[in-house]
Amino acid sequence: MRQHAGALNRTWLVILGILALAGGVLILLAASGTLHAMSSATVAAESPVVPGDLHTVLEQASVTALVLMAGVLMGALGLLWILAQIPRRNPADRYRLHQDPASGTTLCDASVLGAAVENQINTLPGVVGSSALLRGTAMEPDLTMKVTVNNRADIQDVLHSINTRVIPDLSKALETPLRRTGIQLEVSGRNAVAGTTVETTGTVIY
Amino acid sequence: MKTPAAPAGSRDLDSRGRTVLYRKVVEKIAGQVASEESFAGGSSGGFLGIGAHSDFSARPKVTVELAGNIAALSVEIGLLYPVPLRQVTEQMRRRISERVNALTGVEVRQIDITVSWLKPADETTGRRRLL
Repeated sequence: MRQHAGALNRTWLVILGILALAGGVLILLAASGTLHAMSSATVAAESPVVPGDLHTVLEQASVTALVLMAGVLMGALGLLWILAQIPRRNPADRYRLHQDPASGTTLCDASVLGAAVENQINTLPGVVGSSALLRGTAMEPDLTMKVTVNNRADIQDVLHSINTRVIPDLSKALETPLRRTGIQLEVSGRNAVAGTTVETTGTVIY
Repeated sequence: MKTPAAPAGSRDLDSRGRTVLYRKVVEKIAGQVASEESFAGGSSGGFLGIGAHSDFSARPKVTVELAGNIAALSVEIGLLYPVPLRQVTEQMRRRISERVNALTGVEVRQIDITVSWLKPADETTGRRRLL
C-alpha cells in the first residue's frame, strides 16, 4: 500500500558507487606509481600526495567558510535522503471529471471511489476487511487494494471476483481502464462481521 | 377634468404586482430536480451535520449564487455505484439547467458537482419500501 524511495536510492547509490570506484582506482594508481609513469606532473609513489603546505591554505577564512558550506550542503542532502526513506501512501487528492470547466466542474474525491471499492470487496464471501487506495489521475488511475480474508475464504474465487466485478465496475465509473492494479492479500483469524441481515422474498402463508 | 389615460399595457403591469423568488427557492427546485434522477441522492438524518447518512430518497444539497438573473449552482451529490460518472453528471447538469430555467426563468450558467458518496443500489436500510 505504501510507496518507497526505491528509484531514488538506486540512482544515488550508483552515483556514489561510481565516485568511490573512481577514487579507489586513482589511489591505487598513485600508490603503484603507474600514475607518475603516465604523467610526470603527478606525485610519485611513496611520496606525500599533497606536496605543498596544507596549513597555509587552510588558514585562510574563505577556505574555512567554503569547507563549512560544503559540509552543511552534504549534510542537508543526506538528511533529505533519509527523509525520503519514510514510506508514503501518496493518495490521489480528487479526480476532476469534467470536460468543459466553463459549464461547471465535476469533482470526486479519490477516497469516495476507494470507499465504494472497499464496500464492494467487503461483500465477497470470506473477506474480513479491505482497504483501497487510488493514485494517479482520473484518466490514468492506479488502484491498490489490501484484502484481508479469513480461513474459510476461497482465495482464487475472491481474486476472480475482484478481477471480474470490482475492477471493471471502477473502470466503468471512471470510464477509463485502470493503468495499474495491485492486490495485497492477508489472512486473518477474525470472522467476517459484515452481512448480519439478508433480504428475502419468501411466500407468506396466512 | 379628464386625465390622459395611461397605456393599457403598462397599467396592467403595475397592477399585476411583482414575483420575487428567494435564493432558497432556486436551491430547493434544483435539489428536487437532481433527486428525481434514479441514480442520485443526498444525505438525511443527523444533527448539525453529525451522523447524517447517505440516502437515495433525500434531496442533494444545492447552493446557489445569484447574480441578477444568472445563477451558478454547486451541487453535493451521492451517486449509484457503478455508473459512468462523467456521463451521468453531464446529464444531470443539462437537466438541472433546463428545469431550473423552465420553472423559474433563471439562467443557469455553471453547475459545479461534487460527488460525496457512491453506493450500490441493492443496499437497503432495513425498512419496508413502498413499491
